[in-house]
Formats: sequence, structure tokens, C-alpha cells
Amino acid sequence: MSVPPATAGSGLTYDVVDPPAWLSGLSVREARLLDGALTFHCLVRPGQRVRATVLRPVEPDFPALTDETTSSIEWPDGRATVGSVLACATGVPTRDDVVPTDVVVDLGAAQVGYHLRGGGTEVSRLGTVRHAVRARVPVAFDALRQRRTDHIENRRASRPIPCTPRPVGGGAGARRGTRPAVLFGLHWLELGGAESWAMETVAMAREAGLLPIVVTDRPSGHPDIDRPAFDGALVIPLTTPMAEEHESRLLAELFTRFDIRGVHVHHCTWLYQRLPWIRTQYPDTQMVDSLHVLEWRTGGFVDIAVRLSDVMDEHHVISPQLRDYLVDRHGLPKEKVTLATLADLTVESRHDTAPDEPVPHAVTTPATPDRPLTIAFVGRFTQQKRPYLFLRLADRLHARFGDRVRFVMQGDGELGDEVRIDRDRLGLGEFVELRDSTRSVADTLAEADVLVLSSDNEGVTLTSFEADAHNVLVLSSDVGSQASVVAEELLCPRPPLAFLRAAEERLARLAEDPALAARLASKQHTRMQAFAALPRARDWTRSLYERWAS
Amino acid sequence: MTADGPTDTATNVAAVIVTYNRADKLGTVLDHVLAQERAPQQVIVVDNASTDDTAKVLAAYADRPTVSIERLAENTGGAGGFSRGMALAYERGADFVWIMDDDCYADPTALGELLDGHAAAEKSMGMRLPYACSVVRWTDGDICEMNNPEPTWDWGKLLVRGQSSVLVNSCSFVSVLFPRWVLGEFGLPLAEYFIWFDDQEYTRRITKAGPGIQCLNSTVTHDLGVNRGVNFGDVNPGNMWKFEYGVRNEASYRWHHEDPFAAMRFAQRLYRGLKAGRVSRRLRLRLARKFLEGVRFDPKPSFPRTVL
Repeated sequence: MSVPPATAGSGLTYDVVDPPAWLSGLSVREARLLDGALTFHCLVRPGQRVRATVLRPVEPDFPALTDETTSSIEWPDGRATVGSVLACATGVPTRDDVVPTDVVVDLGAAQVGYHLRGGGTEVSRLGTVRHAVRARVPVAFDALRQRRTDHIENRRASRPIPCTPRPVGGGAGARRGTRPAVLFGLHWLELGGAESWAMETVAMAREAGLLPIVVTDRPSGHPDIDRPAFDGALVIPLTTPMAEEHESRLLAELFTRFDIRGVHVHHCTWLYQRLPWIRTQYPDTQMVDSLHVLEWRTGGFVDIAVRLSDVMDEHHVISPQLRDYLVDRHGLPKEKVTLATLADLTVESRHDTAPDEPVPHAVTTPATPDRPLTIAFVGRFTQQKRPYLFLRLADRLHARFGDRVRFVMQGDGELGDEVRIDRDRLGLGEFVELRDSTRSVADTLAEADVLVLSSDNEGVTLTSFEADAHNVLVLSSDVGSQASVVAEELLCPRPPLAFLRAAEERLARLAEDPALAARLASKQHTRMQAFAALPRARDWTRSLYERWAS
Repeated sequence: MTADGPTDTATNVAAVIVTYNRADKLGTVLDHVLAQERAPQQVIVVDNASTDDTAKVLAAYADRPTVSIERLAENTGGAGGFSRGMALAYERGADFVWIMDDDCYADPTALGELLDGHAAAEKSMGMRLPYACSVVRWTDGDICEMNNPEPTWDWGKLLVRGQSSVLVNSCSFVSVLFPRWVLGEFGLPLAEYFIWFDDQEYTRRITKAGPGIQCLNSTVTHDLGVNRGVNFGDVNPGNMWKFEYGVRNEASYRWHHEDPFAAMRFAQRLYRGLKAGRVSRRLRLRLARKFLEGVRFDPKPSFPRTVL
């Protein structure tokens, strides 16, 4: 055994001194996290030897790889020592007569409990009360939540977003490396639509001959770091807060060692906020981002992009709604905003069907006990997806149609326990089948007639495309760019009670009227086709990276 | 036309024509739109449930790739038709929406001049401008009295800068161009107005973002029977229905969007006009009721959905 397996940093940014045998016992995930940590610690301490004590938690917890706590040789209880490794940055003379700098790296667990999300290890009292209220009266809770959303949104929308001017007179003479590279900023390396796309772009950069350098900034066990997309990529999962001087040193070392042609920010606040510095020090670096969803209340990454737009060269948006938000609402130059969709990311769809070709659809007869209308929910059990609304909808429809309707809910998430308890409380155990995410979504959609999306916020749901590819009608809350892919008649208002009323009425009509289902399927398919005809994100990205690589 | 700016062919312009029982003129209107030197990418005809030969006229254009026809189940008035047509144009990804009545004949350069004039004015003013309208002529070539925009106090600002445009506060819906952002930010015309003052309300509403412009080189002909503006002295039993909408809508606008004093000044103007025209007491009373109805009438704008 020489170096951590399946990693890119070893030999590229650092060398391991006398590699210990335990390295070969690490999982790919752990090896890549350690690789990222050693890359970080060696790059921010060039010329020094770094001695890393490597830990693994007994109970699932987040990794600690680069933050200030890694400088302390005291660590919390419940950590097992994996071993110690000595490393130093490549390409810099190292003094062996000086005591190594010690760091402590905690590799964390791949899957971390939902109760630890939000950055803290303890749930606040307010959070406990909130969860209790939501568990008991979810619709009332949601109604208040949506009203609060509207209030905050109105206030937020009335305020202009301050802009950061483009820096001038920067360090045009800064030394650059020779190996062409692209610097990516990601949220984390785990499941999500934005992350799926980000991973694909990492692979595309590599195919274009660019070294992908990936930083992330959110607490996560990064279970997807072992995906093939990251083979050969220099992945540095940051844990924050880091020592301030380490931040600039890390970026300066990366820009010095590699010819970073461009920065592609997916969802990474840390990297966004360092773009003005990068623009100042390395002014010829191209900077783009990919934007997926407009977040309620905060604006999220989209508003950060507006704030930093002058610093950046181009914004890639995946939905017409985001294009309108940037161009129409905030007056960004139209030529700076590129709409390129992910319509083909999860589905190599059948959207090439001629518009006048009859569209097969699942509902062919009125619902009967022998052929019930199957209504599905597919998605994470989170507040955003509002699975409790689906259960209330099932309750209403079951009371009305009995065994002429059946329901399937597929997903996992922080509200998983609440969903199970809620289902039993409503007496729907027999009629609502719960499936976890190990089951194939395709199997669920193959059984479904209608997919219900009850979310309070979305960009464009990739599940909608999958559903259409399975001839499943999509009924959705009218949020984000769902109007781009869902038949107008199947769009329901976002407020929970209005959503339930509208969804119940429309599903009841579908249960009785197969001809309506056929008409709506045709309309849905027409919208999907029109959406699918928009420029594709893959094409835009490939062309961008080819330009950067040339 | 310039090669850069919004006049390039990549800019998606949707022409919206609202029609109701104008089979005799609609074909000419469409021919003029389709013959534009800078042709719109989409032509959306909203048929307000016409009962004449409109369908037959439109059938002749059915195979035109840029023309689409939206037939409504009932007559929603000009306001409802424009609201629906503009919403459709927005949903279909239009960057600009160019709207007109079904008796408006656009000169060949009308649209191009609007696009160029709008782009040049925005550049000169350093701000986004919410609309650009044409000069509207009557059939004899004179100015059409019903379609005169109201100028701003500094209306000549662009003229002295060498441009052929003047700044305006409001205009009628006879050849007016709206950029997409206006629909997203301010919504659609009030369909509830049905007819009359919907154009005044809408253009005044969006003027909160800045003045509109009238492009003096963009010209259209409005094929009205007589060249006469709105005059309350002209009220008679035959045209009363239209004035009833007009009084209700303007009273609503003045009361709810300006102030009660503005509504009172409108009442005074209405009274004087009716008196000067010796309009019968019965009709005056009906219009007074409509005025009061307007005070209680306060529809809110709807907003188009982003689809493409």
C-alpha cells in the first residue's frame, strides 16, 4: 500500500511520507475525504510537514476536515482513532528537521441523522415545538408557514439587491500553473437534482481535458464522493469555519499550481463569496454559475448570483422562471443569462414524438375497484415536499371513492417518522403504500396514473419528466417553473387548503373521466415537448468547457 | 435597422390582435402585420367569440407558421382579449408584445421603428422604458383623435437629443409595444374592465417604472367610422353601453388609483359633457349609477405565468 486508493491529490498536491498500511483499509469515501483534507492542510502549509491524526466517529456524525477544530489535538468523545499519516506539499522544499504541524481529521459517517442537519448537534427548543405542532396539525402549520412565506417574500421583493461591482486593477501578473483546470463549487456530495447536474459537469470537464477541482461547503458525510464522476478529480470538501489566512492560501496555491481557466459555481456560498477576490487576483478567470431554484424567503443562491453578477461572466439557469427573475426582475443583461434545461438529465425521454402523434396514457376507463386510479408521491419526505398534504389528499379521496383509488408514497427523509404516524392516525395504512428510496422510482411510476407534487417550492422537478416518460399525469402545486411542464388544468395553488381543494376536485374528475385524462396527457406532453426543445444544459456546458480547454 | 439591440431577429416579438365581429377588416389587419419589414415571430389572434365570418377569414391564415388563433368561448371585451393574448405571448416566451385592435393597419416599418426607437430611447435615458407606441392616423392621413397619447412634462427630451420619439404618460391599445419584463412586473390589463379605459389604466400603471415613448416614425392607420375622440356629449341610447363601461372604469381608476378628488374632477367633467350635449336625464342617471359602481369596483391585475 502506498497512497490512499482512488484519490487525485496524492502525488499531485501532496506526498505521503512512508504510507502507513491502514490507508488501504479505508473505504473509497473515507480515502477521498482524507485526500481532500491532506490536500487542504498541505497546500495551506507549503514547506511544512503535516502530521494528520485520522478519526472515525462511533456514532454517525459529520466529518471535520478543514475547519479550525482540526488544529486542536483534543477531540470530542465518541471518536475512534484510525491512524496517523505524515504528508507534505509537492513541489516545495520541506524541512525535515522541524517538528511537523499536527492536524486532526475526522472522517465522519456517510449517512448522518436528519436531527443533525442545520449545522448544530442539538435541536433547539423552538425547533422541538415546531416539529410537535407540525406532527399534530400539519395543514394548519403549513397554512401559517405559507402566510409567513408570502409576507417575507413581499418584503424581500420590495428591496433591491445590492450589487458588488466588478473589481478593476487586479493582479494580472499572478503566476499560474500549467495544467488546465476548472474550479467547481458544490453544496455537498449527496443526493439532489442540483448535485446530479454538478456531478455530470465535473465528468464533462474531465472529458474536455480539464482537471476538475471541487470544493464543497456544507456539512455532509458526502456519500457520493465515491461516484465515478469524481475519479481523477481533486476534491476538497471544506468544513467551516476555517482559519481566515488558510482560505486565501488555499485558493492562491490552487491558482499557482494549476492553470484554472474557469470557475463554475453550482450551489456553494463559500466560493460565491470569494469570487470578487479571485476576480481581483486572477482577473482573466472565467466565472459562471448554474442556478436551479429560487428559494423562498432568502432568494438563496439566485440572489447571491444577482449580487455578484457584475463580478461574473455568465449565469446558466435551468428554467424560464429563473431567466425571467434575473433578466426581467433584476435587469441583468439578457446575453449574460443562458437558459439551458436539464430535461434530459434523468430521462432520455420520448419528447421527440411528433406533436400530433397520439399520446398513450395510463387512464383508459373510469376508476373501479378492479382498476383503481393509482396516485403516487415520489420525493424526499421533507417540509419542502409537504408529504402531509399528500396524506390529507389521500384521506379526502379515499373517503369519496373508497377502493376505486389507491396511493403509493415513495421516499425517505426527516419527516419519515411523521409520515408513518400520520398515515396510521388517518387510518390510511391499508390504502397508502409506503416505499423507501431503495425501490426503483421507475417501478412506482409504472404503476401510477397520476403523480402528485405537493411541494411549496421547486425549480423544475426532474420527476415530472420521468412521469411523462411513463405516461403518468402530473398534478403539481403552481410553484417555480412547474407551469412549464404541467398542464394548466393540473396546476394547483400553493396554500395548503386551496391546494387540497383544487387537487381533490381535479383528481375526482380524472377518476370519473378517462377522456379528460387523455386530453390532459396530450397537453402535458405538448408542454414537455416545448420545454425539451429549449437548449440543453449538456450542450451549453460542453461548449463552455471546450472553450476553456482550448 | 441596427444589427445589435432588440431589433435583431433573435428577439422574439409576438403581435397580439384582438378581434370581435370585424371580418371585413381583420384580413387587412393581418396582412399588414405579416408584411412588416421586421416580421414578428408570433402572431396571436384572439377571437372574442365572434359571430360573423371571422372564423372564415382566419381559416385563410391557418397554415401560416407564425399565426396562432385563440378562440374564446365568450366575448370578454377588448380588455379580456388583450389580457388573454398578452398572457399567451408571455407564456410562449415573447421578448416583446405588440398589440393592436382589429381595425389597425400597420405601415411596413411600424414594428421595426418601435423596436429601434425603444432601444435607442432606453440607451439615451439610461433606464428601462415600459412601452413604445405608434403615431395613429385616421383613414384620411390626419391624426386619429381617439388615440393621442398624453405627453409627459418633459416630452421633448428625446427630440432634442436627435431621436424621433417623445415621452408619454399613457396611450391607447392601437399599436403599442411592451417589453416582457413589464408583464412580469406589473401584470396584465384588467380583463374586468371589459372595454374602455383598460388601455389608459394599464399604460398609467406601468408608467410607474418610467415614461413610455411615442415613436414618431412608427405609423399605423386606425380605420374608424368617424374621426372623433371620447366626448360625453355624444352619449345616445345606441352607444350608451360603451359609455357605461367607460364611466365605471374611469371612476374606478380615479378613485382607487389616484384619489377621491381626481374622481370628483372626473365627475365634474362628466357632468359638464353630458350637459353640453343635452343628454337625456334618464341616460345621465344611468351614468351616475355607473360612476358610483366604479367607486365600489376595484379589480386587481393578474400576472402571466412563465412557461417558456
